[in-house]
Amino acid sequence: MPVVGAYLVPGTPLPYLVQDNPPWTSLVAGYQKAAKSLAEKKPDVLLVYSTQWIAVLDELWQTRRRVQGLHVDENWYEYGDLPFDLRIDTKMAKACVKGCASVGVKAKEVDYDGFPIDTGTIVAANFLNPDGKIPMVIAANNLYHDPGLTEKLAQMAVKTANGQKKRVAVVGVGGLSGTIFRKEINIAKDKIASESDDKANKKLLGLMRRGDGAGLKKYLPDYAGAARADMGMKHLSWVMGALRWRFSGAKVHAYGPTYGSGAAVVEFNK
Amino acid sequence: MAKGEIIAGFLAPHPPHLVYGENPPQNEPKSEGGWEQLRWAYERARASLERMKPDVLLVHSPHWMTQLGHHFLGVENLSGKSVDPIFPNLFRYDFELEVDVKLAEACCAEAAKAGLVTKMMRNPNFRVDYGTITTLHMIRPQWDIPVVGISANNSPYYLNTKEGLSEMDKLGKATRKAIEKTGRRAVVLASNTLCHWHFHEEPALPEDMSQEHPQDYAGYKWDMRIIEMLRQGKTKEVFKVLPQFIDEAFAEVKSGAFTWMFSAMGYPEIPGDLHGYGTVIGTGNAVMEWDLVKAGLASKRGAAKKPAARKLKKAA
Repeated sequence: MPVVGAYLVPGTPLPYLVQDNPPWTSLVAGYQKAAKSLAEKKPDVLLVYSTQWIAVLDELWQTRRRVQGLHVDENWYEYGDLPFDLRIDTKMAKACVKGCASVGVKAKEVDYDGFPIDTGTIVAANFLNPDGKIPMVIAANNLYHDPGLTEKLAQMAVKTANGQKKRVAVVGVGGLSGTIFRKEINIAKDKIASESDDKANKKLLGLMRRGDGAGLKKYLPDYAGAARADMGMKHLSWVMGALRWRFSGAKVHAYGPTYGSGAAVVEFNK
Repeated sequence: MAKGEIIAGFLAPHPPHLVYGENPPQNEPKSEGGWEQLRWAYERARASLERMKPDVLLVHSPHWMTQLGHHFLGVENLSGKSVDPIFPNLFRYDFELEVDVKLAEACCAEAAKAGLVTKMMRNPNFRVDYGTITTLHMIRPQWDIPVVGISANNSPYYLNTKEGLSEMDKLGKATRKAIEKTGRRAVVLASNTLCHWHFHEEPALPEDMSQEHPQDYAGYKWDMRIIEMLRQGKTKEVFKVLPQFIDEAFAEVKSGAFTWMFSAMGYPEIPGDLHGYGTVIGTGNAVMEWDLVKAGLASKRGAAKKPAARKLKKAA
C-alpha cells in the first residue's frame, strides 16, 4: 500500500491557542488546508513523529488505545489549555515496537494513564484530525538517534503498515529555524528572528517546492546548523524516510513566524 | 517583619528511580527496592531538614525548561498525576503541593529588577514537572512545607554555558533578596545530577542493582573530584572548573540549579556535608548539604514567622 500523504507541520502551540493573531493566521489557514487534503486522502492511519516527544532510553511508541486529557504547555501556559483525545492504532504501534529490532533499535510500548502527550503531537492532531477519526501511530524522538536512523524507523513503520495493508499518511511535527525572541514581544508584531533565518527557511522550502530531494538532502546539514533548526530537522527525516526521498514537489500551505522561530505547513506531492 | 534568611542548601538530584525504589503510596508502580545508598542519603537529609524547620523550600528544576525567561509557579495549590515521560514505567505519582505565591512573586520581581526576563505561571491546570516533584518528595515526603518552583531557562544550552550560568547567578542573588525581604527562613534545593552520561537501554528489572554502575569512568572521577572539593569547602575552585566539568562529564549542573543555589547562599566557602553518592542508570548523583546556621552564616533564631501553612498532611 502506498504512502497516501506526507506533511511537515509546526508543533508550537501558539497558532492553535491564539488563532486570530495576525502573524499566525496564515499558519492556521495552512493547517486547515492540510487537514482538508488529508481527509480527502482517506488514510487508515497517521504515522506521527513530533520533535517534542523526547526519549533517551530506547525508542518509545504510544500503544494506549485511547489517550485523553488536558495538557498545558510548559512555556506558553498563559494562552490556554490543550485538550486532546487521540485514538491509537494499537495493532500497528505494537508491530512497530517489534519491527524496531530490524533496524537495530530497542523499543518499548507506552501504555499508561496520564502519560504526558507532547504539545506538538496534540497541536498536529487537533488541527489535522480534529474529530480523532483517523487512528494514529506516534513515535518518540530519541535524542540519540541521528537523522539517518530516524529515516530507517519511518521506513520500518511504512513497511509495517504495508504488511497490515493500511494506507498511511506520514506527519513530521516540528519547526524550521529555531531562534525565538528571548525578550517579551507584542505577538501581533511577530516576525522571523533574523533575515538570515528567513532566507535559510525560504531556501529550504524552495527545495521542497521544486521536488529537489537531492538538493534538500545536501542542504539540510548546513541549514540545521545555520538556522538552529528544530532538532536538526529530524521530523523532516521522518517524512523523507517514509517517502524514501521520492517526491515530485510540495505545496507550502503556509510559512510564518512563531515568536521568532520559523514554522511551515508543507504537503509533499507524489 | 524580621529579615528572612537562607538557612541551608541541598544538592538534591531527581532520578525518579529513587521514588520508585522507596514505594511511597503516591507512586503507582511498585518495586523490589534498589538505589538504597542514595535513598539512605536522602533519609539523612530529611532528618536535617526536620531539625531546620524551614518556612519554605525553593527548588530549581531542569525538567521545567523554559525558553522565554525564568518562570515561577504562581498558583497556590497544584495537584495532579505526574507521569515521567522518560520513565513512565517507574514514576506515576499523585502530587499535591502548596506554593508560597508571595515569595514566588517576590523572587520574580527581584529577578526582573536584576535584568532577567521573568514570568509567573498562573495556569491552575499546569502539570508540575517530575524533577521538582521527585526532589521535593525525596527531601520532604510529608509535603507539609510550602514550596517555590523555579524553571530552568534554557540559556546555558541556547546561548552558552558562561552566559547561561551568569543568568543563574543573577537569579540566585535575586532569590536571596526576595527571601530576605519576605522574612522567610528558606532552604534552597538544587535538583541536579552530577555526571550525566547514562545507559541507553534500561535493565529488564530496573531495580536490579547488579546492573548499576557508573556509565563513564572519567565522569565518575570528575564527580569524586568535585565532591571532594565541595567537602573541603573549596567553592571558588569548584566554580573555576565547573565549565570543564560540565563539558567533560556532560554534567547536569549545566542547567543552572547548582549555580543558582550557590549564588543564593553567597558562595560560602564552607564544607558541604555529603549524605551519599550513587549512580542511577549510570549517572552520578550526590546528596549534599550546606548548613548555613551551623556555619554561622545564618541566625539560630526560630522561624521568622510561622510557616505559611503546614496543612498538607500527606502520608510519608
